[in-house]
Amino acid sequence: MPKSQFDSHLHHGPLASRLIGALFVALGLVLALLAPTCLSAAPNCPPPPSMKDRLQNAPTADDYTDLGVWFAGHDQYDCAADAFATALQAKPPDKYVPHLIFMFGSSLYLSGDLQEAIPALQEAEHRGYKDNRLHLMLAAALDSTHNSADAEAEWRTALAFDPEITAALDALSTDLVNDADYPSVIELLDKPRVQPQRTPTQCANLATAYERTGKPGQALEVLRNGLNTSPESAEVAGQLAALLVRSSRDEEAASVLEIALTRNPDDPRLHEAFGTVLARLNRMPEAREHLERAIALGDTSPDAKSNLAKVIQALGAAPQSLSP
Amino acid sequence: MTLPNGKCLTAYHQIRLKLKASTHVRRTTHAIKTLGGPVVSAIPAFFPTRNRAVVCLCLVIAVITAIAGFSLTGHTPTSRSLIPAVFAAQQPSAKPWPVSIDYPEEGSIFPPGITPPTILWRDAAGASWNIDIVFADKTPPIHFVTGGERIKIPPIDAQAVSDTNKPPTLTAQQAAMWTWTPDPATWATIQAHSVAAPATLVISGMRDGRTVLSQSRVAFTTSADPVGAPIFYRDVPLMPTLGVNGVVSPLAPDAIHLIHWCLRDIRKPASRVLLKDMPTCANCHSFSADGKTFGMDIDGPANDKGLYAVVPVQKHMTINSKDMVHWNNDGTVGKTRVGFMSQVSPDGRYVVSTFAGPSLELRDSYYVTNFTDHRFLQVFYPTRGILAWYNRATGMRYPLPGADDPRYVQTDGVWSHDGKWIVFARAEARDPRKPGQPPALHANDTNETQIQYDLYRVPFNNGKGGTPERIVGASQNGMSNSFPKVSPDGKWIVFVQAKNGQLMRPDSQLYIVPFEGGVARRMRANTRLMNSWHSFSPNGRWMVFSSKARSPYTQMYLTHIDANGNDSPPILIDNTTASNRAVNIPEFVNIDPDGIEDIEVHVADQRAIADTRK
Repeated sequence: MPKSQFDSHLHHGPLASRLIGALFVALGLVLALLAPTCLSAAPNCPPPPSMKDRLQNAPTADDYTDLGVWFAGHDQYDCAADAFATALQAKPPDKYVPHLIFMFGSSLYLSGDLQEAIPALQEAEHRGYKDNRLHLMLAAALDSTHNSADAEAEWRTALAFDPEITAALDALSTDLVNDADYPSVIELLDKPRVQPQRTPTQCANLATAYERTGKPGQALEVLRNGLNTSPESAEVAGQLAALLVRSSRDEEAASVLEIALTRNPDDPRLHEAFGTVLARLNRMPEAREHLERAIALGDTSPDAKSNLAKVIQALGAAPQSLSP
Repeated sequence: MTLPNGKCLTAYHQIRLKLKASTHVRRTTHAIKTLGGPVVSAIPAFFPTRNRAVVCLCLVIAVITAIAGFSLTGHTPTSRSLIPAVFAAQQPSAKPWPVSIDYPEEGSIFPPGITPPTILWRDAAGASWNIDIVFADKTPPIHFVTGGERIKIPPIDAQAVSDTNKPPTLTAQQAAMWTWTPDPATWATIQAHSVAAPATLVISGMRDGRTVLSQSRVAFTTSADPVGAPIFYRDVPLMPTLGVNGVVSPLAPDAIHLIHWCLRDIRKPASRVLLKDMPTCANCHSFSADGKTFGMDIDGPANDKGLYAVVPVQKHMTINSKDMVHWNNDGTVGKTRVGFMSQVSPDGRYVVSTFAGPSLELRDSYYVTNFTDHRFLQVFYPTRGILAWYNRATGMRYPLPGADDPRYVQTDGVWSHDGKWIVFARAEARDPRKPGQPPALHANDTNETQIQYDLYRVPFNNGKGGTPERIVGASQNGMSNSFPKVSPDGKWIVFVQAKNGQLMRPDSQLYIVPFEGGVARRMRANTRLMNSWHSFSPNGRWMVFSSKARSPYTQMYLTHIDANGNDSPPILIDNTTASNRAVNIPEFVNIDPDGIEDIEVHVADQRAIADTRK
């Protein structure tokens, strides 16, 4: 394997410990040559019976690769990562190394080890491995480390492969909203696509971008349209109601929350929001009902209790009767 | 060692599924960040106690509560007196929740006699719906109650399934749609009473069958102008193939026979196939304005794009060897025809087409990139070429002065209906690709060779041409203006505008501009995705065009155009092909609806073509 960034990780980074660990696993497998029962030496990664013979007799990089594939196929991604790491140590042909590093990085990612997945996936990318899943995983992993600049670049690379990938559109637009780069959000989400709908996340992000750029009417349209497409989405309903409240259209906000509650009748935050809006509309008995319901459903927000107390006060009832 | 791709597939499949789940988590996390910010910070310690999967949802509600709560809890400077502020917030009663009526759109104009449309709407509130059609002419309203039916994907053509395409699926938006289709008798009544004044479609969502929770309405009319002619179009599978040499083809040679040419009378529920099982690829076609002559580009042996068939229109048409024009054999203008957009003159005597300059190969004269993505599988446009005209009587072809300058690419030539003008697209000539130019990965990739065409017109002048005149409104606007069509009354040019190139552009939009030039208007009929391949009806009141608005498998739409060039929202022509096939290059033909029953390519000629392709 040529000297590279990846090598440096082998020797100095957290990846090294992973590979060293994998080496021990490999040694465990070698020991199995002498005593098959020794396979249990890697207690969490027992190889399948069908592969025991291969792993007992001078296993090659190919054997470990197959083992990794088998583990991945059985959702044992920690074990798969170890197997691929061992395969990489077993001097596979150069032309397969990028593919192997990608599988190694993918397994780390899918095992939840995003921190270690990043250098592996970056190395696969550095070696020219072409697969859009690489960019998707790398972008998500980078986002998890709050490296949003690099994550955005990876999301955009993924979208260059396929401009319709929902996950990338969701995540990139969210990153851009976090960066307050609202024109880019609009550029990303308001152009023609083959899939002519937006996910609730995209609706929320595009509406945010429109509102923050002084176009609340377009934000409303996006959210209304989004709610008719995803009626079950409390995310969209909530943002729509919030926007209506900010526009002093409390009656409409109440209608939206009423619709949302028919789809999500036990959502405490919807009840709290509805109760609050009803209070703004001076519909105090109903407001009290929903705020009490929110608290009964487990809403621990201080505002819920505070608002409920004010509503009760407006109704002329004794506050203490509302204590949990 | 063989790194077993086959063996890896299973694992990769798992990886893909897992990735999906993981990404969902990420999105949730991102949503938290997004919806957080200053508002969320006002509600600390809420999220850590929550399951990650519901954090996003709860956060939104927190936003609402925080916003509304500010008024109640005195965090805003203007509401020190909290409860009074609440009491002061009385507002007029809210309107019903707005139903999203997706089809027909407000202001739609239906052609008389078209088959009943399927009405589409989305509604977060209703569980059943009242459908009311109210007329302006005092005809009693038509009332239906429906529980709503979801969109059903029409049957697919099993022969058009491949590894590189996907069966049609409903988008999330389409899956959320409800449908209602009037029966033919009801539709006939609706049409009869919506000519003089618009009818209004009111859709009301009901929760318990009585309470109106949601409502929207659209007005539409039925035109007094008949379409008056059938539409000829190409019906193709979208099956790009990756060859062993890594070259992508839009359609494998062994699938070319699946291309059909069809004729549609919009008053009938289905189309008729006129031509199929061709062993070679045929492309752009054109009919003379009088409906008497038909021309079609046909690929010849060795992928020779230089064959053109010109035949009289008859009930039973045949294309024989004697009908073939061999562009590449006459030696008059270069050796290679660029390959598309040949147009028969209104009287059928001439053909105008685009030809590469002298000594140019096809690859030197147009940019073409094919993709394995069936949704937009090809990018194709000329970067060099001149217009030349072919005289059917003499069999000779001549450059058209004014559109034959090799410093430019001149293409898309079309005739005005009086035969006096050729309108065409022009740009500075350039190499199709620069050395080292990265490949485009998809349509509208910025790595495409950039070219923006301007529209020009030049007098035909019995082939003598003249000075090209730039069409103001369709030129020098930073966009690519292409594919002009002149209205039969000679007043308008409808053209396609896109950021780059022409044909199959996701962003292509239809514009209309006065024939002499002026202010171009974006047409109301445009859908969100790809609008092109338009054609005027012989009476000039209707235009057909293609769009991918509803599906990657292109469909045809109609729009009405009045004497002032005002057009109406798109009307879908239903059931033009299987749901996994695309229809394109639609063209009105000035014949009776049953004026062509079949087209045959003479068997001997077909075999000759097929044999020479081997």
